[in-house]
Amino acid sequence: MASKLGLAGGIPERRVRVIWDAIDSRQYKNAFKHVTTLLTKHPNSPYALALKALVLERMGKPKEALSVCLKAKEVLYANDSLLMDDLTLSTLQIVFQRLDHLDLATNCYEHACSKFPNSLELMMGLFNCYVREYSFVKQQQTAIKMYKLAGEERFLLWAVCSIQLQVVHGNGAEKLLLLAEGLLKKHITSHSLHEPEAVMAYISILEKQSKFGDALEVLAGKLGSLLTIEVDKLRIQGRLLARAGDYVAATDIFKKILVSSPDDWECFLNYLACLMEDGSIWCEEAVNDPVHPPKFVQCKVSHLTDEQFDSQISNASDFIQKLQDDTTNNSMRCPYLANIEIERRKLLRGKSNDESLMDAIVKYFCRFGDLACFTSDVEMFVEVLTDDKKTELLKDLMKSSDALSTTPSKTLGRCITLFKIQHLLLGNMFKYSANELEGSCVQMSDMYCKNLPLSKGLDPQESMHGEELLSITCNVLVQLFWRTKNVGYMVEAIMVLEFGLAIRRYVSQYKILLLHLYSHFGALSVAYEWYKSLDVKNILMESVLHNILPQMLVSPLWTESNNLLKDYLKFMDDHFRESADLTFLAYRHSIYSKVIEFVQFKERLQQSSQYFVARVDTSILQLKQNANNIDEEEGVLESMKCGVHFLDLSNKIESKSISFNEDLQLRPWWTPTSDKNYLLEQFEGTSYCHREVSIKERETSFQREIEKKSILPRMIYLSIQCVSSSIKEHVEVNGSVSPKISSEMKLLLDRYAKLLGFSLSDAIEVVMGFSSSESTSVVSCSNLIDWLNFIVFLNAWSLSSHELVQPESNSSKPHIWNILDSLLEKYILEVVKSMEPDICSPWNDVQLVMQIVTEPLAWHVLVIMSCLRSLQPSGKKKKKSGSVDQSTSNLAHAIQDSVQHLSNVLEEVRRWLREWNKRPEDENVDSILAPLRKNGQNDGPGQVYRIFETYISTINEAEVGDRIAQSLKCWSPAEVARKMVNGKVKVLAEFSTMCDSKIKLLQSIEQQIAQT
Amino acid sequence: MTTIRRFCCNDLLRFASVNLDHLTETFNMSFYMTYLARWPDYFHVAEGPGNRIMGYIMGKVEGQGESWHGHVTAVTVAPEYRRQQLAKKLMNLLEDISDNIDKAYFVDLFVRASNAPAIKMYEKLGYVIYRRVLRYYSGEEDGLDMRKALSRDVEKKSIIPLKRPITPDELEKVCWKG
Repeated sequence: MASKLGLAGGIPERRVRVIWDAIDSRQYKNAFKHVTTLLTKHPNSPYALALKALVLERMGKPKEALSVCLKAKEVLYANDSLLMDDLTLSTLQIVFQRLDHLDLATNCYEHACSKFPNSLELMMGLFNCYVREYSFVKQQQTAIKMYKLAGEERFLLWAVCSIQLQVVHGNGAEKLLLLAEGLLKKHITSHSLHEPEAVMAYISILEKQSKFGDALEVLAGKLGSLLTIEVDKLRIQGRLLARAGDYVAATDIFKKILVSSPDDWECFLNYLACLMEDGSIWCEEAVNDPVHPPKFVQCKVSHLTDEQFDSQISNASDFIQKLQDDTTNNSMRCPYLANIEIERRKLLRGKSNDESLMDAIVKYFCRFGDLACFTSDVEMFVEVLTDDKKTELLKDLMKSSDALSTTPSKTLGRCITLFKIQHLLLGNMFKYSANELEGSCVQMSDMYCKNLPLSKGLDPQESMHGEELLSITCNVLVQLFWRTKNVGYMVEAIMVLEFGLAIRRYVSQYKILLLHLYSHFGALSVAYEWYKSLDVKNILMESVLHNILPQMLVSPLWTESNNLLKDYLKFMDDHFRESADLTFLAYRHSIYSKVIEFVQFKERLQQSSQYFVARVDTSILQLKQNANNIDEEEGVLESMKCGVHFLDLSNKIESKSISFNEDLQLRPWWTPTSDKNYLLEQFEGTSYCHREVSIKERETSFQREIEKKSILPRMIYLSIQCVSSSIKEHVEVNGSVSPKISSEMKLLLDRYAKLLGFSLSDAIEVVMGFSSSESTSVVSCSNLIDWLNFIVFLNAWSLSSHELVQPESNSSKPHIWNILDSLLEKYILEVVKSMEPDICSPWNDVQLVMQIVTEPLAWHVLVIMSCLRSLQPSGKKKKKSGSVDQSTSNLAHAIQDSVQHLSNVLEEVRRWLREWNKRPEDENVDSILAPLRKNGQNDGPGQVYRIFETYISTINEAEVGDRIAQSLKCWSPAEVARKMVNGKVKVLAEFSTMCDSKIKLLQSIEQQIAQT
Repeated sequence: MTTIRRFCCNDLLRFASVNLDHLTETFNMSFYMTYLARWPDYFHVAEGPGNRIMGYIMGKVEGQGESWHGHVTAVTVAPEYRRQQLAKKLMNLLEDISDNIDKAYFVDLFVRASNAPAIKMYEKLGYVIYRRVLRYYSGEEDGLDMRKALSRDVEKKSIIPLKRPITPDELEKVCWKG
């Protein structure tokens, strides 16, 4: 900021400097003092006013800041003789931007530019304003003006970028590109181009219009020589040639790149594509989702004749052979992997058989089988094979492995690869018997221990040899758990990873597996701790947060959930705020390719599915947290515009294209996406498949999910309003009288019903059917909460609308209300009564109870509170008629009945929770460890555990080194078990507190009703 | 097996497997984007088969006169692709650009004094410890400023080690963790 010194509006520099210094050192009070003095001398200086506004804004007084800003603006506009300098305007701009009034800053600059049309500095400021507002057309117009004024290349390119941005947004591509091309051509004729990025932009404009020949000419000429990185230039040339259909020339170019960098895999694929005359690799769809590029190499069936195909393939083989012969670098994998790809192409063409492909893989294994990346290298090729062939391949690999003799670390590497292929890649774990899988686990953990001496000299920061063995073991143990439902395997899987982390605490792969295991086990607070230890921050939140957030949101760990949401939203919103300034930085440094990229990236993040959900979930969480106090809840609802904002969001959601930015590769096999958990399903002799999750599929299910969530706040709001006695006089926040709450409610109920898969009338029928249990088949674990929410809202609506004719009810309570109360009771008590408070019990049912209590039940109680409020005498008492008296007393009875009902249910829950907490910690620890300690048994869980125990008891310190020996000595399974116990108990305790306060609330309602 | 290309914003959404490593810092967005907007040729990513991110390097070129130099801000490789000399490849690329395109005198980097494996690796690549910067990392840990001379520094003046350690204040410019 101090750099902004100078004479502004005739104010001497030294007077201004003290203010900036104070601002820079965050002494705002001091700055305010100085600026006040300054203003006494220059009361009408826009610059002094702008400074005051800036100080006020920093002091946290946005309203005052805005009014001072507006005054400065007024002075600027009023006085034509006044100097309009960039310093004043940019200071105002800073304040306006921070106050979210970009438009006002733009107005100021527009005004200034109209008064001083020849000031390049002001125009640059105006251009920057348009960059901030993402007004591409105006950007273009301003840049052209600047170009005309100064004739500088960079301004022309600013205009070209602005045109490209319009094209990206689908506006009149053809005409605009032609315009950009014309502008550039004209400039090149008179001035040529001097910046490499300008040349790139020119080529890109030509390429977008499919003028490949012209682009190639540019590249080959004087302009092309500005591109200094030779290989980049060749890549562009090869691509342009291929897109122009000149495959022969393109092949030569890619060959040239491969000769200089034979390890360039993508270049090899390009080379092969050219030989096959298949341009699909460069088409738009191939780069459709750059964040999730396909794992597999796409290729079309070649149109070449058999003879042509044979000859081209043999060319490729010869060339690859030559690359292999010429290379002296042993770690060069591309020319060898290329052989497998060639075999795959032959196979796809029907020119070869599975055996040749498998043979190529085996050869690759013999050379690189010890590398950690071997499996991912060959994954795409193994996919081509049938299950039987895959099994055969594994046998071949094992056989070839036996014949290889090398160093211990290489042998270990190869063994790991074989295990990885067997258990993770082939996806046929289900074919092995439990005994076989256990045997595998024993073998792997034993191997891990025996190879620890290999890591003796390693720094603790370095990954150790054999680390992957433990994650594979964990994956297999989870498979055993899924199959047998024996929780011992789950505990053992956790132990395996904790054991690994005790030896080296930095293995992020273990931590991610662990946090999912702990989540499934219910020790959510421990899962959260491990997540924290991953130090996921900034942009990593966008790709990694999905590992923890969804399960946190349905848990009672509200503080932690809030922290996760807050950090994430802050990161995103900060980025949206600063992104335009960074785009302008790219403009200033003439890095035009990044200008386009930055704008597109910002849009991608704005459309992020996770960002959508996080915003809605933040509000829902707030509603949950305040649900015990109807006034506070209404305050919260008001702050979110009574849910209207989210309603708009859900209306728009379908028209928006959503981006999915999660890195799903990090997730364990049993939960490939956050809405899928195989462990909750029955094991049916199948295995998970490696299929990539289709974006389209996710988009549809996401849209439903987000729609459901975003109408929730509005429905809660309307439900409260519906039953309030003041409904007829209700005035909306925006001032317009809205007597249509009930009809809006009906509309939303209709939407909600559709999301459940029913029309409103059918859904109501389903609800009525609950009284005779005939509808229970409609409800499942996955939609129970939605159904209960629906009934809560339906009940609220039916209380206010006579549209829904309800069957006569025996009690004073309306029929739907009765159904709702008994359903809440049924689903809560079903779990509570059937589940022993055993620390090892499955968690998903407990989670469901917690969700019922904190969501539908909480909303229902809000409706009850609203009813109660409507019963209480207000200031203006109305004369009550007899029938009103009757309905009032009915309502009072209904409330009383419902409150007692719910209290009883929650009392049961509380008793049950107490049972959990009653057991001494040590007893819980014992029951976790018990299944692992069944000595003398050679099947079931515990075998890996015992390997570790034996190893530790016989450890040779000299062999593994001091560090490893020490950490092994500190290893305590009991501590891990204790952590599991406490993690679970903590969540239960939080829930217990929630139940307590809910019971208290119900009691107070009961008292109040007694007084009415 | 590496295709090395310019790093782009979308790679930020794909580099989790690399950045979850405890020694790899995930910077804020303006940090990455400033590097992309100013020194795109110093920010490269290596991709393997199946479009997997193997690792990346980010750096810049700066300084006046004879201290005009390339700087490695971060170089990192995913665990799966370690021990294959990928870091070396990425470092060589940055050195080439500093040397041949920007005609810099040397390349430098900062490393935690405790990060023995990294120091060993940089030494293998020809870097020497030029000076120690006291409490460079969050005011706690010392940093080592390591340098490698480029062809323009014929007499290798830039890498003659300083005898005394310096404090972060004495660093003539803001340097970032490398």
